[in-house]
Amino acid sequence: MSHYPTIDDANKCMKCGFCMYNCPIYKVDHIESHVARGRNMLIRQAGDKSIPTDADYGERLSYCLLCGRCAAICPAKVPSPDINVAARTNFLSQNNLSIPKQIIYRGILQHRNMMAGLLGIASWVPGISVKDGKPLRHMADFTSILTRGLSLPKLSRPFLSSRLRERTLPPKGTKSRGQVALFPGCAFEFFFADIGQGIVDVLTKSGFEVIYPRDLTCCGLAVRSAGDLHTAQLMASHNIEKLSSFDHIITGCATCGSALKEYGNWFSPDAPLQLKAQSISNKVSDFSEFLAKEGFESQIDEPLTVTYHDPCHLKWHQGISNQPREILRSIEGVKFVEMEGADDCCGLGGAFSIAHRDLSLSIQDKKMQSIKKTGAKVVVTSCPGCLIQLKDGVRRNNLPVEVMHISQLMRGKRKP
Amino acid sequence: MSDKGLLTSPVDLESYSFDGTTSWQSKPEAVVFPTTTEQVSRILKLATEYHIPVTPRGAGSNLSGGSVPVSGGIVLCTTRMNKIIKVDGDSFTVTTEVGVVLNDLNQELARNNLFFPPDPQSFLAATIGGCVSENAGGPYAVKYGVFKHYLLGLTAVLPSGVILKLGGNTVKNVTGYDLPQIICGSEGTLAVITQVTLRVLTLPPAHKTVIAVFDKVVTSGQAVHRILTEGILPAKIEMMDNWVIRRIEETTPLGLPLEAGAMLLFELDGNTAAVEREAEGVIKSCQQTGAIEVRAARDSEEATNFWTARRAGFSAVYGASPTVFAEDVTVPINRIADLIAKVEEIAKNYNLTIIIIGHAGDGNLHPSILTDKNNVEHFRRAERAVNEIFLAALDFGGAISGEHGIGLEKKRFMKQAMQPEAIDLLRGIKKVFDPAGILNPGKIWEDR
Repeated sequence: MSHYPTIDDANKCMKCGFCMYNCPIYKVDHIESHVARGRNMLIRQAGDKSIPTDADYGERLSYCLLCGRCAAICPAKVPSPDINVAARTNFLSQNNLSIPKQIIYRGILQHRNMMAGLLGIASWVPGISVKDGKPLRHMADFTSILTRGLSLPKLSRPFLSSRLRERTLPPKGTKSRGQVALFPGCAFEFFFADIGQGIVDVLTKSGFEVIYPRDLTCCGLAVRSAGDLHTAQLMASHNIEKLSSFDHIITGCATCGSALKEYGNWFSPDAPLQLKAQSISNKVSDFSEFLAKEGFESQIDEPLTVTYHDPCHLKWHQGISNQPREILRSIEGVKFVEMEGADDCCGLGGAFSIAHRDLSLSIQDKKMQSIKKTGAKVVVTSCPGCLIQLKDGVRRNNLPVEVMHISQLMRGKRKP
Repeated sequence: MSDKGLLTSPVDLESYSFDGTTSWQSKPEAVVFPTTTEQVSRILKLATEYHIPVTPRGAGSNLSGGSVPVSGGIVLCTTRMNKIIKVDGDSFTVTTEVGVVLNDLNQELARNNLFFPPDPQSFLAATIGGCVSENAGGPYAVKYGVFKHYLLGLTAVLPSGVILKLGGNTVKNVTGYDLPQIICGSEGTLAVITQVTLRVLTLPPAHKTVIAVFDKVVTSGQAVHRILTEGILPAKIEMMDNWVIRRIEETTPLGLPLEAGAMLLFELDGNTAAVEREAEGVIKSCQQTGAIEVRAARDSEEATNFWTARRAGFSAVYGASPTVFAEDVTVPINRIADLIAKVEEIAKNYNLTIIIIGHAGDGNLHPSILTDKNNVEHFRRAERAVNEIFLAALDFGGAISGEHGIGLEKKRFMKQAMQPEAIDLLRGIKKVFDPAGILNPGKIWEDR
């Protein structure tokens, strides 16, 4: 059933405050305007024009990771993250996007070719790309100034689309079990192309023919989260067209997965594309969700202690938390240890980590302590955003821990 | 105080203008987040000196209007004083700062095989300070009582800035007037509590849940009385009427008959043999009173489902209409069926939907009237109905609030609930604690 949330859904909030118990931001700063209950009240008041929708109001809307924990615990089932996105959309329609954001959302992210072109040029600049796994370090500190200290992954050379054919078959001697389409997402296309290759590798070794549809664009989640719904809908429409002929769509990115599964709710029930969007959503599976159900081939070279971090976009948005653990427990040689607060946020939340760096780091610190306590050598997750944040935390805290996407471990090699 | 402990921007202040009720809203001029008792003392001293109203606030989940800053001024928010200081399993006490969320305290106690029974159903939000200030309680009150029964000692700051350590850590203590008990339930009008020492118990080894369905709400009220007179003391007895049963079946289906008038949910706890015997007793008493259906939960999973459904059902009430009067009347346990019959009659006379839920085992009902404050005529009718419910409760020898407190929501009824001389005593006590009248002004009683 389609549910296209609007700010009117904030009226369902009965102010019990249970969302405060689960909110990663409120747990750190205890400020009411930074948690779903307080924000819902502000959004209600903005809706009936009893408070101004000024820059301060807009800023309060940004104090949210859109992680979905509030909605999960809410007894009245108020979709607070979606309400916030709707409020950001209204806010943006009254206040223009800043010029740099217009360029990023409407120019670059919407048009994959331009993104590939620009990033392709950038990848030749020393220090911001990786070749054969070895970063050239000169520019690393420079880029981290732009992100207020968050270390970003280096660009891959070449990108994933140049490493893969449109169709990759299972290796000879492996029984074919059908065809799947891969939705790689920007992170695996441009930044973690080696992991993208690994995802395809595990799928084919497990017997699946993998199609990489050309000309896909960004899933649009970051753009929608920022409140530019119109551009996000254009991006979704593009992807929906490219994906409509496939029966199974697999993604290794928790964020893209939650976006694709929600496409049906990105369009109002009377929009011409709504039904088609919903039918795409129904065909999407996360990588671990798919393989836990279908079975897979995997073993590792040496015994390893492994812990798992639940990405918000996987656990709270898609309800997937058992499958990755089942997979890890079933790999021979893996000793799985659960960390305290495995489903606590890593603190990235996309642009949140740069806009609210101190809060983001407080949340990250808690996560690092939990990882440290397990004594695990490897922390596995299923989201490139979490990968970035966890790698940043491990580097800042000097932890002897490797951060891996689940496919990297399943691929059977320790070093990516 | 550092910048981060102070909020003054209009949009932030707006988010401290409400509590869990639907009728009250008023903005403070500043919100402060002290982290130590000394900071609280300095804030109050300044506020007294400059005559600035101070409204203490925890999570703001209260249902009385008590934490709404109706006089403006400062909201003193205790949520950053959130350390559990000492869990003492040997002396069966816990000492904690007041900003700790009740559920966090319960989790920590459970890790030590300890148990703190008072369970206001806002436990995922409510802070210990708020619970003590409102003298909160919940379903466990039948057997275990409410917050005041567990309060042994506290640290509080007077409006003058003087820091007081009151009470101690023993169950028995008759050293002069019982000052902790005067501060407990004073709704933040006498002093700001910063630390409390509470009595705790060991976790009961066994639990059992029984569910019973009745054709009429009144019959379920009779069943409760019968069970108690037979000497069975369940830990919880919760009542839900047909409206709630239907909501439960919509959201978390338990297979309840949709035409049933009421449902009772019991929890028995203690040692295994006693729990089994009591469960049998409850089932027998319900059958003898005419229950349509009664049985024990098969296992702990089904029991959890029942209690989750009960919470969801109760929650649905508060979101059922733009304005909800969630009343909190309490009557002596032998009058519960009379109160139910009276509420049903009032609903009929005023042509209103009044949902009946409550902690039937201790006589505390939450008749909830669905209305809309923007619909003037409907709202007036609802107000008149509330008035009649209060009069009925008082008439049956009960009280106008069992666990939510008076705050703003019920202060216009104080004159009916208390003698004028008694209200004068309240005023006198307030004057001794807070001569300048800065602490949570405008609450509990009306100005003369």
